Amino acid sequence: MARRYDSRTTIFSPEGRLYQVEYAMEAISHAGTSCGILAVDGIVLAAEKKTISKLLEPGTSSEKMYKVDNHIACAVAGITADANILVNNARLQAQRYLYAYQEPIPVEQLVQQLCDLKQGYTQYGGLRPFGVSFLYAGWDDKYGYQLYQSDPSGNYGGWKATAIGANNQAAQSILRADYKPEISLKEAMNLAIKILSKTMDSTTLNSGKLEFAYL
Amino acid sequence: MSIMEYNGGAVVTMIGKNCVAIASDLRFGVQSATISTNNPKVFKINDRCFLGLSGLATDIETLYEKLVFRVNLYKLREERDISPRVFSNMVASTLYEKRFGPYFTEPVICGLEEVDGVLKPYISATDLIGAPVYTDDFLMTGPCNPALYGMCETMWRPNLEPDALFETVSQCLLSSLDRDAISGWGAMVYLITPENVTVKKLQGRQD
Repeated sequence: MARRYDSRTTIFSPEGRLYQVEYAMEAISHAGTSCGILAVDGIVLAAEKKTISKLLEPGTSSEKMYKVDNHIACAVAGITADANILVNNARLQAQRYLYAYQEPIPVEQLVQQLCDLKQGYTQYGGLRPFGVSFLYAGWDDKYGYQLYQSDPSGNYGGWKATAIGANNQAAQSILRADYKPEISLKEAMNLAIKILSKTMDSTTLNSGKLEFAYL
Repeated sequence: MSIMEYNGGAVVTMIGKNCVAIASDLRFGVQSATISTNNPKVFKINDRCFLGLSGLATDIETLYEKLVFRVNLYKLREERDISPRVFSNMVASTLYEKRFGPYFTEPVICGLEEVDGVLKPYISATDLIGAPVYTDDFLMTGPCNPALYGMCETMWRPNLEPDALFETVSQCLLSSLDRDAISGWGAMVYLITPENVTVKKLQGRQD
């Protein structure tokens, strides 16, 4: 029954669902876990790398973590090629804002602009949505440290702690249990490692499989 | 009255032994009226690269902000600081984009360029539409040019140590400022060595 309504992104199914968007989220659920934790004095982003091979050239660009501007970083889960396009766009938006207003872009503004872009691909154009979810960690002088999550539909929310990618439900339930609002950055980093060790498939946890970023 | 002489200003840069210096005056004026005496025209791009801009004040500000935009993206994408030589090219192409309606500024770029693992002094300048010039002694820009040329040609010698270079640049600039009605009110001098960057504010004739 769904067959008739899922080849075009820009139509609803009879049940009121956008299948292409849901299929994009399905793609992300196979990607390496990324989690973000908001602490009193900073934010931690931690992610599990999926492409690990002895043959991989080390030291070249990161797979999961990207700097968007001096005050904003993001973690990615999903199709890396799609993520590159969106991160590049985010960087341009941040610089345009800086050029126009001579002050750093507020975090939520950046998230909104990216999400507006993603939403466009669910309503017009006939192109498939981006298969990426983001965790944005940033600081501005109005709201301090902030953590946001966005998905292929263009929805976003502000979070104290959250996870995206494979096993994110397991990660979120651990976070629900262990997260405290007064958590410090150091404790948050330990908690992030604990989350990833529980959600990762591999039995051994080593530094080669993780990427960390903190603000 | 030329558009390049509307706001006044002077910027000079010199190469020394393993160091570079760049200096500008501090005046911001509207033709004969001086509005501010705290308007340096040298901007830091990164620890190893500095930009001096003279000419129309509004274009100095806009061009600088545009270049910051491009340099920030360069740094995010390439994950390294931009080198003076590459930055020079970026300035030249940015100016040429406005070939038939240019920014009325003539930039001067200076810094330390890494060549085979060693830091070498580098200076370059462009005209308002991006024609570059590279030398190994000194360069200057602004309506104070004729006076600066005379002073620099006389005073500059190759391989000046940092202290001597600082003295030379400062004296050349201060004397030249006295010969130009629309530049002056003190100077700001940056001395760049591989170890650090020092900034000094000079008190000149306050007229």
